Amino acid sequence: MPQRAGRILKVVLGTAAMLVLLVLQSAAPVPGPNGDDARLRLSWRARPERIEVCRQVSDDELAKLGEHMRRRIECTGRFATYALTVALDGHTLHSAVVRGAGLRNDRPVFLLDEIALPPGKRRLRVVFQRREQVETSEARDLDSVAGAFEREPASRARRETMERARRSGAAIPPLLQLDTVIEFQAGRVVLVTLDGERRGFRVLTQAD
Amino acid sequence: MINFPQDPDLMRLPERAARGLLGGIDAAANRLYGWRWNPVHQSGSLAVAMLLLLLATGLPLIFLYRIGSPAESVALIAADPWLGSWTRSLHRYASDLFLVAAGLHMLRMFAQGRSWGPRTLAWVSGLVLFGTGVVCAWTGFVMAWDSFGERLARDGARYLDVLPILSEPLSRIFAGDSRVPSAFFFVNLFVHIGLPLAMGALIWLHVMRTARPALLPPRRVTWGVVAALTVAAVLLPARLGPPADPFQIPATTPVDLLTAWWLPLSERITPAAGWMLGLGLSSVLLLVPLLSRRPRVGRWAPSDVDARLCTGCDQCTQDCPWEAITMVERRDGRATLLASVNTSRCVSCGICSGSCAPMGIGPPGRTGRDQLALVRAQPPAALAEGGRGSIVALCCNEAPRAHVEAIRGRGADVRSLSCTGNLHSSVVERLLALGAQGVIVFTCGPRDCASREGPKWLDQRLYHEREAELQERVDRRRLRVAVLAPGNLRESLAAYDAFAGEVAPLHVPGGGVDYVEPECEAVEAGRAP
Repeated sequence: MPQRAGRILKVVLGTAAMLVLLVLQSAAPVPGPNGDDARLRLSWRARPERIEVCRQVSDDELAKLGEHMRRRIECTGRFATYALTVALDGHTLHSAVVRGAGLRNDRPVFLLDEIALPPGKRRLRVVFQRREQVETSEARDLDSVAGAFEREPASRARRETMERARRSGAAIPPLLQLDTVIEFQAGRVVLVTLDGERRGFRVLTQAD
Repeated sequence: MINFPQDPDLMRLPERAARGLLGGIDAAANRLYGWRWNPVHQSGSLAVAMLLLLLATGLPLIFLYRIGSPAESVALIAADPWLGSWTRSLHRYASDLFLVAAGLHMLRMFAQGRSWGPRTLAWVSGLVLFGTGVVCAWTGFVMAWDSFGERLARDGARYLDVLPILSEPLSRIFAGDSRVPSAFFFVNLFVHIGLPLAMGALIWLHVMRTARPALLPPRRVTWGVVAALTVAAVLLPARLGPPADPFQIPATTPVDLLTAWWLPLSERITPAAGWMLGLGLSSVLLLVPLLSRRPRVGRWAPSDVDARLCTGCDQCTQDCPWEAITMVERRDGRATLLASVNTSRCVSCGICSGSCAPMGIGPPGRTGRDQLALVRAQPPAALAEGGRGSIVALCCNEAPRAHVEAIRGRGADVRSLSCTGNLHSSVVERLLALGAQGVIVFTCGPRDCASREGPKWLDQRLYHEREAELQERVDRRRLRVAVLAPGNLRESLAAYDAFAGEVAPLHVPGGGVDYVEPECEAVEAGRAP
C-alpha cells in the first residue's frame, strides 16, 4: 500500500512539474529587438503626382477615332518619385528615394520605415520632396489646354478636366516638410504620417 | 528472424541521435507512468485528442469573441472566472500539448526508421499537419491581440510583405495611423477556424494507408491528460499580455515558446533570410523519406507469398497493419484464393509471418519456415551441451540494449526478432520441444511497436486462439510474454526472475518427443495433399 501511495505521489508530482513547465513556457518573457530605444515610424499611403504633357486633340483627329476612343486632351507622362530625408538635430539620419508601388510605379506610395533612436528631446526634420522638376512650360501647356475646354460645349471634355484636376489634387504635394522638436521616450513610438485632408505631415504619439 | 544482423542504415548519425533522445524521453515517461499508461507512446493519437479538445474548447470561445474589439473581448473572456478563464487557458494549453505530442510523434517515426517508402505519404501529410497546427496556433495568438499577438502579427506581416501576393503591404495596418481594420481580424478568425477543418482531411490522408488506425489514446490516458490540463487551466490560467499598442515597444513580451520559439531570431534577420531558413528546414524535413530510404532487400525486402503453401485463409490480410495484402484469384486451378502482397505498401514489418499457419508468407528470411530453420540450426544452448534446458528469451530488435544484456546476464538464451509480431507460434512450440525450460517473449510496449500491432497479434496468437495460434498441447506455464520498456529495467528483470522461478520446478520433456511437425514442413517433404 505505501508503495502504491508513493507511486501515485510520484505521478502527481511529475505531472505537476510538467504542467508548471508548460504554463511557464506559455508566457516566457522574451525581450524584443531594441526595446530600450525610442522609435520613429514613418508611415503613409498616398498617390504620387502624375507629371504629364498634354495637348488638345483637333476635331479632325477626333473624327478619325471611334466614338468610345475620343478624348479631347491627350497626355503622356510618368509618375513622380520622391526624395525622403529624415534629419535629427541637423544630422541626416535616413534618406531614400520613394516610388509608387507596382512595376510601372503607377500605384500609390506605401511607406513604412522605422528608425531606432536614443531617447531624448530632439529636433526632427522630415522632408518629402518630388524629385522631378516640372517645366513651367509643361504646366502652362496643361493650363492652356484646360482653358481651351471652356470653349468645348461637350460635357465629356469638362468631365475630363475635372477628373484630371481631382487626381492632381489628391496626389502628394511637390514638397512636404516637418520641422519640430519632439520628446522621444524609451519604448515609445513617434509616428509621422500624412494627413490627406490637410495635405501635410502629422505627428502622433498615441492612438487617436 | 533470430539473431538477425543489425541494419547498417540504423547507424546513421541523425537517426541514432533521435533514437537516443527518444529513448531518454521514453525511459523518463516509463519510470513515471509505466509502459501501460505512458502518454509518450501515444503521441500521435494524443495529438488528435488535443485537436478534439481544441475544437471543444474553441467553440464556446468563438461566440464570445468580437472581431470589432478583439483585445477587449478576450480580456473579458480571461476575466470571467467561471467559464471564460479556464476554457481559454485549457484551449491554449491544449494547443501547446498538441505541438509537443505531434513533435514527439515525428521524432518517434524518424528514430524508428518509419519515415520512408510506403510511409512517405504519412510522413509528408504529418509534416503538413504539424505546420498547419502551428499556423493555427499563431492565428489564435493574434486573435487575442495582446502584445504577443501584435508582435506575431507584425513579424508575420513583414514576412508576407516580401512575397508578391498582397496588393498593399500588410505591415502598414499596424502602423498606428488608424485602427487595425476589422477585416484583418475577420480573415485571421476565418483562417483560425478553417485550418482545423483542413486538418480533419489531412488526418484522413495521414492514416489512409494504415489498417485500424488508433486515432485516440486509451481512455485512461485521454481523460488523465484532459484532467491534468484542466487543473492547470484552473489553477494557473494562461497569462494575457498587455493589449496591443502600436505606440508601445514593450521591453519584454510574454511569448509562448512552443509556438514562437523562433520569434527573437526572425525579428533580427531580414525576411529573405528568414524565408530561406524556414524553407530550408521544411525542405530537409520533406526530404527525409528520400534521405532515410533503404534498399528493398534484406531486412527491408517486402513480404513474399509461397503459392504452394497459401491456403487462402485470409488471415494475413486481416493482420497486416498496412493493408498491403489482398486476396486474388489463383491461376493454378486450386479453388482457394491466393494472398498477394502490394510491395509499394509493404513496410517489411513481418507481421504476416506470424499470421500464417502454413508459413506461406513473410519477408525473405523471416517467414515461419525460416524461423524454424534457425531454431533447428541453433537449439536452446544448454540442451546442446546435454544439460538442463535454458530459458529462451525472444527480444524485439527495438528493445533497449541494456535490458537485453541484463537478461542475458541472468543466464537466458537471448535471441532477437525484428518484431515479436513476426514470431510464429510454432517456434515457441519447437523451442520447448527441443528442451528449453521456458520461453519468455519480450515485446515493446503495445503502443510503442514499430510494426504497429506486433504485441497485440502475438498475444492473440499465443493466448486467444487467433489464427496461427499456439497449439493447445503446448504447456502455457512454460511460456510468458512480458514488456521490455526503456527505463523500467527492474520491472523487466522482475518479470524474467518470476518466470524463471515458476518454470524451474517444471518437468522438461525430452527433445522433440511431443513436437508435431507443422503443416508447411509436411508440404516441403512432399507429403502435402
